[in-house]
Amino acid sequence: MPIETDDRDDVLLRRSAKGDQDAFALLYRKYQAPLYRFALRMTGQSWAAEEIVQEVFLIVIREPRKFDPNRGTLGGFLYGVARNRVMKHLERSPRDLPLTEETDDGFSPDTLASKEMTPVEWAELHERRARVRAAVLDLPVEFREAVVLCELEEMSYEEAASTLDCPVGTIRSRLHRGRALLLAKLEMLREVPRRVHAGQ
Amino acid sequence: MQGNNGFTGRVPMTCEEFALACLEARSASEDSALRQAVLEHSRKCPHCAALQVNLQTLQDDLRYVGLETKDAEAPSRVQMRVMQEFRTKHRTAKARRFALIGSWGLAAAAVVVAVVSWTNWRHANGLSVFPGRAGTEQTAKVDTNGPSDGQSAAGALVVGDTLVASSASGDFTLLPGSTPSPMEDATVVRVQMQRGALGALGFTVNEEHASDLIQVDLLVGDDGLPQAVRLPETVE
Repeated sequence: MPIETDDRDDVLLRRSAKGDQDAFALLYRKYQAPLYRFALRMTGQSWAAEEIVQEVFLIVIREPRKFDPNRGTLGGFLYGVARNRVMKHLERSPRDLPLTEETDDGFSPDTLASKEMTPVEWAELHERRARVRAAVLDLPVEFREAVVLCELEEMSYEEAASTLDCPVGTIRSRLHRGRALLLAKLEMLREVPRRVHAGQ
Repeated sequence: MQGNNGFTGRVPMTCEEFALACLEARSASEDSALRQAVLEHSRKCPHCAALQVNLQTLQDDLRYVGLETKDAEAPSRVQMRVMQEFRTKHRTAKARRFALIGSWGLAAAAVVVAVVSWTNWRHANGLSVFPGRAGTEQTAKVDTNGPSDGQSAAGALVVGDTLVASSASGDFTLLPGSTPSPMEDATVVRVQMQRGALGALGFTVNEEHASDLIQVDLLVGDDGLPQAVRLPETVE
């Protein structure tokens, strides 16, 4: 039977559990990118994000019965597994946060730099974004999750709440607190952004 | 009225309400009254205006940081590893299933072969294939009482698990564990023995007459071992 792309996730998962490689490939293609981005933004390390995505899908292969469709969506389940793996990773290496940009860490800082910028402006922008990334990675995990999902992944509060399996109000307050913390961490940059803004 | 951002609805708003409204960026953008109050407060309060600028800068930077990784996805090597694991897992499971079915099939075939062999062996030895059905016949034993009671063992050939010697038909009864060999290689030897000695050859013997002397024809193979036994009609 051919697989329709609008097949429900639980149907795809059931077929995948029976050995249907096409169904599994569809699930992989659907979820690998958001899971990878989530892991990358939470850990700041591409190798860690790779490992986390791999571990999530290995669980789908080895223990598909862990997912209960009555308890939520497959996406929520996969994010939950990814979150656990992220936590484990952060527990293992809590201080291993990149403070400077690395070209092979999955970020591409040059892509958004305007060609009309002067080298000084570009350097300022470059530095500021690196510090914003570092500040995000330095947030406590629960606030970082909210910032990553709502600000970087641009999810709605409801989607983020579903993904993190918590009430919308919790997401709202964590995001609120996360922004305040970020602002506090980046307070020293107050003058730089103002200058850059003024120049733009 | 107090929304999620703590704004009470009265104008002008306080600095605290302003900060809450700015941090709650989405509510501020969705609620026109709140937006108006925020704009009005920022015009009057330079400190809050600076806060708003910084917040806006932070929002922009976060958006940029998000855009940097917007198209990021797991490298193809991750997909290769995962798909390889998928294939390995399901191939192994399939092989295990085939092995299980195969082993059960082989076991069933072995049982069938064993039953057929056993049945053939029972037929070849002139024994009943269904010992249970011969329950009533098992009481029939070799009547080796001889002429004392004027009866012979004539007619008693095969009865269940009890080995019965034939005397009337002149046929030999195979001893347990011996295989029939061509008659030209065998010799018939008539011997005199005590009736009780038949017990050693696997026959049932009436204990009351175990000490009687009887004559027995033994079919001796070329290896010198008795293969079958027969009770002649006349017993001395």
